Parts: sequence; C-alpha cells; structure tokens
Amino acid sequence: MIRLLLAAVLVAAPVAAQDFSADSEAKSWNLYAEVPARFTAIVSDPLCELAGDCADQCEAGARQLVLIREADDAMIFPLKNDQPAFTGAAAELAPFCGQQVEVDGLMIDDAEIGAVNVYLVQKIRAVGDEEWTVANRWTKDWEQANPEAAGEGPWFRRDPRIKEQIDAEGYLGLGAETDAAFIADWF
Amino acid sequence: MRHLIPLAAATLLAAPAYAATEGERVQVTGEVIDTWCYFSGVMGGPEAVVGSAHHTCALWCSAGGIPVGLLAEDGTVYMVLKMEGDAANAGGDTNLHIASHTLEADGMLYRRDGLNYLVVENVTADRDIINATHTDFGVTPGFAIPEEAAQ
Repeated sequence: MIRLLLAAVLVAAPVAAQDFSADSEAKSWNLYAEVPARFTAIVSDPLCELAGDCADQCEAGARQLVLIREADDAMIFPLKNDQPAFTGAAAELAPFCGQQVEVDGLMIDDAEIGAVNVYLVQKIRAVGDEEWTVANRWTKDWEQANPEAAGEGPWFRRDPRIKEQIDAEGYLGLGAETDAAFIADWF
Repeated sequence: MRHLIPLAAATLLAAPAYAATEGERVQVTGEVIDTWCYFSGVMGGPEAVVGSAHHTCALWCSAGGIPVGLLAEDGTVYMVLKMEGDAANAGGDTNLHIASHTLEADGMLYRRDGLNYLVVENVTADRDIINATHTDFGVTPGFAIPEEAAQ
C-alpha cells in the first residue's frame, strides 16, 4: 500500500509543478499577468465537456472552445487570438476541433480577479505537423462574411451589427441624449 | 499505518484538482462583461472596463467572439457558455444585444479548474445598463468614440 501511495506522489508531483513556459516562443503583450505557455492539448467544446451538450464539429466556431491540456487534464479557456483587434479565439481553434494540437501563447494568471486558466493563443499546429498556423484568421473571415462593409479603417468601425447597436443606443449604451451631454463635457 | 495518512495527504495535494464537477442550479445577478479586457488589464483596471465607460469596447469584443461573462456583485466572474438557449456564443447576436446589461439569470453552474462556467437557461430580469462608469472614467479605450463623433 505504501509503495502504491509513494508511486502516486511521484507521478502527481511533477505534473503539479510543470512549467509550460520553458519552450514557449510567445511574444509579450506587456500585460500585467501574462505568462508564456506552450503545451499540447485536445481542442474541445466546453458545453460538451461539462454539460454533455455536444455539437458536430464544435459548431464550426460558433461556440466557444477550450483546450484540454494533456499534461494535467486542465481545461484552458482561450479568450483571445493573436490580433490586437478585439477578436476571440474560437474561429482559430475550430478547424482543429477534436484534434490533438500544440499551442503557444500567453496564460493570464491573476487569481485575485478570477483569471485562472485563461489564455491568449498565438499559434497552433496539429501534433506531428511542422508548420504553425498563426492565430490571426478572424479578421480575414470577417472580411469574407461582410463584403458590404469593405472600406478604410478597422473592422470594428465598419461592422454593421456594431453600428446598428451604436445608432440605437449610443457609444455609452445610454441613449443619444446621454452621449451628447458626455461628449460636450469630456471632449 | 500512521505513515499512510501523510502520504495520502501528499498525494491529494500533489495531484491536480482538475476533475469536472456536477452542474448546480444557480441564480446569478451580474453585469455582462467582456472577459478579455476584464482579466487581462489591457485597457486598464477592472473597474474601468465595465459599465457605460466600456460599452463600445464591449460591443467590439462581443461581436469579435471574445467570451462574455457575468460579473456578480461579489466580484465572481461566471463564464457564459450559452445564453437563453443560444449556444452561438462566439460573436452571436444574443450576447451583442445585452452587452454591459445587468441581468438576473437562472441556469446551471459548472466549476472546473478554477473557472465558473454558466449555462444561462432563463434571463429572469434585464435591468439594462445601470453601471454608469463613464462619469468616473470617460470611455475606455479613449478612442472608443471616434473623432468625428466627438466634435
């Protein structure tokens, strides 16, 4: 029995102490709580993992996706892709749904505000592949999906759905009158 | 035998506490937030990236597919996986229309690896935007309102 317990301790301890930053090539975003992290994982659907509510092929990126890290079975939630453009990670991970991948990026580790096991993914590759895919497809997908919004400036200034919301409720979300008073006061 | 107890304790401490838990029905009142800006600090401190000050950025991030959360009054963040039956949670319309709103929600809570995951089944009340942070912080980021609109 003692031998079994000793073996369990020896197996479990290195996993708990694993440093995922050692081989990372992630670029810094100069964030207060960023920690480089490169690891292998399975791309999965959290609704399926947690609630048994599964969809074919992760619903093609319409759902949020997670990474089940192989070293410790931790569920990592990628919140962000590698574009400084207010863009998430689901579209980047969706082509790899159900696959074993290697990712490199930044963990955000600030337990005081609840930031635990959340991630910015910078590059992805299927395990066994040589080539990395940079996690920057979101804006290309958006351009293809919104040809009527082509033009100058970043996507978020041209997005029809965002413009509709701002037209209806203002930049503060409190209506045109509040916007007008705020702009007169602050600008 | 007395050696077994510390060994067992060491095993429990060393093994990662990563097992999924059963869902639990909960009622949560909280603000629909952009979890990336809130957790990363990329736009400033947590108090500046909620409410009306951050509403335009919350629209950008929601449309951009960044996960939304419900920020409860006690500071707990619930990562929303489904909103009132809508699983199109990466950039879908449902979350966009309620950016920065304070909601009363009923749903199932799943805890795993330090995060709270919430499947919202019913929004029992929508209080609209009640967190008027623009009076303290202006807008975050500062370019949220374009120059031509600010003149």
